Amino acid sequence: MRFNTEQLPFGVASLSRKWQAAILILVGFISFGVYAYSRQWSEGLIVTGLRDIGTMGGAAWGLYISFDIYFVGVSFAGITLAALIRLLNLKQLKPISRMAEVVTVISLILAGLTILPDLGQPVRGLTNLFRYARPQSPFFGTFTLVISGYLFGSMVYLYLDVRRDAAIMAQKSSRFQSLYKLIAAGYRDTPAERARHSTTSLWLSIAILPLLITAHSTLGFVFGLQAGRPGWFGSLQAPAFVIMAGISGIGVLMIITAILRKVLGLEEQLKPEIFKWMGNFTIILILTYLYFMVVDWLTGSYAAAPHEARVSDAILIGEYAWLFWGVVLTLVVSAGILISPYLPSPKIIENPNFRRTTRRLARATGTFTIALLAVLAIEVFNPTEQAVIGLPTTFMQWLPLAAAILALLSIVSYIPFLRESIIARSVLSGILVNLAAIAKRYLIVVPSQTHGTLLPYNVGSYSPTWVEYSIILGLLAFGVLLFITFLKIFPIMEVEASKSDPIVERKPGPETGLTTRSILSLGLVVIGFALQFVSYFFLAAPIGIPTNESFSNPRLPYSPALFIGGVMLVFLAAIVYELFPEREVS
Amino acid sequence: MAKYGMVIDISRCTGCRACMEACKVENNTPQGSFFMYVFRFEEGEYPNTRIWFMPRPCMHCDNPPCVKVCPVGARYKMAEGFTATDWDRCIGCRYCEVACPYGVNYFNWRNPAESHYLNWEDDREIELILDGEVLPYANPDLELEYGPEMRHNAGGGRLKGVVEKCTFCIHRVENGLDPACAANCPTNALHFGDLEDPESEASQILHEQSGFQYLEDVGAEPRVHYVGGHPPTTETREIEIVNVRV
Repeated sequence: MRFNTEQLPFGVASLSRKWQAAILILVGFISFGVYAYSRQWSEGLIVTGLRDIGTMGGAAWGLYISFDIYFVGVSFAGITLAALIRLLNLKQLKPISRMAEVVTVISLILAGLTILPDLGQPVRGLTNLFRYARPQSPFFGTFTLVISGYLFGSMVYLYLDVRRDAAIMAQKSSRFQSLYKLIAAGYRDTPAERARHSTTSLWLSIAILPLLITAHSTLGFVFGLQAGRPGWFGSLQAPAFVIMAGISGIGVLMIITAILRKVLGLEEQLKPEIFKWMGNFTIILILTYLYFMVVDWLTGSYAAAPHEARVSDAILIGEYAWLFWGVVLTLVVSAGILISPYLPSPKIIENPNFRRTTRRLARATGTFTIALLAVLAIEVFNPTEQAVIGLPTTFMQWLPLAAAILALLSIVSYIPFLRESIIARSVLSGILVNLAAIAKRYLIVVPSQTHGTLLPYNVGSYSPTWVEYSIILGLLAFGVLLFITFLKIFPIMEVEASKSDPIVERKPGPETGLTTRSILSLGLVVIGFALQFVSYFFLAAPIGIPTNESFSNPRLPYSPALFIGGVMLVFLAAIVYELFPEREVS
Repeated sequence: MAKYGMVIDISRCTGCRACMEACKVENNTPQGSFFMYVFRFEEGEYPNTRIWFMPRPCMHCDNPPCVKVCPVGARYKMAEGFTATDWDRCIGCRYCEVACPYGVNYFNWRNPAESHYLNWEDDREIELILDGEVLPYANPDLELEYGPEMRHNAGGGRLKGVVEKCTFCIHRVENGLDPACAANCPTNALHFGDLEDPESEASQILHEQSGFQYLEDVGAEPRVHYVGGHPPTTETREIEIVNVRV
């Protein structure tokens, strides 16, 4: 049977050659990541660059944890934006609302997956966390709120958002028709249903925003609460995490919006104003973050304890200086790119000679950068023990910075172009801020372990191996694949229902006061919160200074799972409210 | 109930590292894993230098950062003062390791059998070395469960992907013996005992001499006390580069 898939909007359900090729390449990357993980599975984490802190002179957390924080950070922007659009009624941003939600869901899935390769016993992790998780561990928040609650909440939000579109698409014959019917779950786009969706999305937004701040702060607490780790201990960790999360998330969104605009031909819907809004928001966040960095730097070097000073020296002028100053430079340049159209144009830019010279410069530096990165890639993804080229380590460390500086230099030649095109500005700064975000996450995680031992151990070192890089790359490819899959199943924007569609039946239904529907969903919310409260404070392991064994066991086994269930019930209430069958009005 | 702790007399320690050796033999720890470690320090400028030694077991803190952060309660505090690791529950996230101010945790980066000084699982190699004279021996006491909750918390070199650390030789202490390090110290620098009991040797030494708890300002309240010396300062440096990687 052949379906006519031409009618579905936004390229849904049509797979051109280019898309197939893209999927094939992604599957290739994923397979390599899976192969790398199989090495780690059979041999243990010995295949990574991680080692014990102390006499082994290593870092116990590395690239996996850095990327885990990065992924959770990216998720921040998506759902925040979606919630803000709903709460503040930002109509002009409506077209990117769904993209933002999808980015959130996918990056949270990636965050959950990234934790697994970091665990020495991943299978135990999957069972024991549900069984024994302790509220006192900052990981409890990361694991329950971020990965479970937040992911579930975002998925509910996304589901209720696509339901109307699924109902519209179910009208047309396509290979996903039955799926759309299932998802639409009887949605008929009546005014009552619309009003209900408006109510639930408002309440979900209100519920998600505080959860967001809590969830991202929890991640900061994973580091900020550790008094025994100079460089981590501090109250600035949590807010700084939230800010950086916003920067990287909006950066990803800017890139994705620009790509979809080009690939799906959405110039009409995705107006430059959207990019302008995101760009301006990013400028504010970058400036805030730079301010945080200055504060952090002052505290770490002004009159700090010797151990704090050792870590901050390693970051500012020592082993990690190339990365730190790279981050600062990248953030400043990306802020500069975004601000550039507001600045007066220097005359020299108009000069054709200048343009020609800079274009040549760009070509030369670009080629050189690519060559440098190729050298680096050969070493990085080399699964054998011997070095292929055998360059000294310090050289290998400064190589990426050299490449970055060259790449930044070549940007100069594109200033006239960047001043004209807001899309180019957004994409470029989106890429730059994300590189900076990843590097900054790494700078938070690693130096405190290698240089921040309170005992006089020798200075440690950590360099990720090909296994770690390959697994991360595979995960990134998996994320892109998930996004493409979504694109091919659902419209990335709200579909306009045509007037002739039989779906719009305007039959006002009486919905006032307390209906069974609202009582039921309110009940679910109350039960959900009660379950959370009881399982957190009374059923899970007690909180306090752990003087004996009772602090290590939940008072009721699997109470962490109960807590997660409570979080899910609260969000499930939204689905019940919308999907509860309507009474037939005679 | 006894509340165990250790008193270490720095002035008696000669840095022979017999405690480290005893610990390795007793707990079957893999290469690069030192439940007990002895710092060899140097202070001052030539010719006015001083060399001194500082044993570093797990501090078995009363307010342990590692127990607080353990997401699954695998690291836990026992009423007798032990800070124990349940290797049967550990998921290998290494949060205890990054939270510990003292750096006493060791992760099994690979299957410990491959990391042991002798690969007991590779029969041919053992045949070659021992010629069948000596049979592989595993201390059966390490397999048992200890404490009122009966959890797997003794010994080291268990399985790939879990964190291990000094257990205060719980399997020996419950049988009325001192930990291997204290029992084997030739100069009697390590004193293990009930710190609540004024009659015990450890608490008497602590009573007679002024001591210190290492990194007291972190607030972990270690159960290991040092006497006969001072904590390392910023002037203190290790005399050797220790980077024992596996």
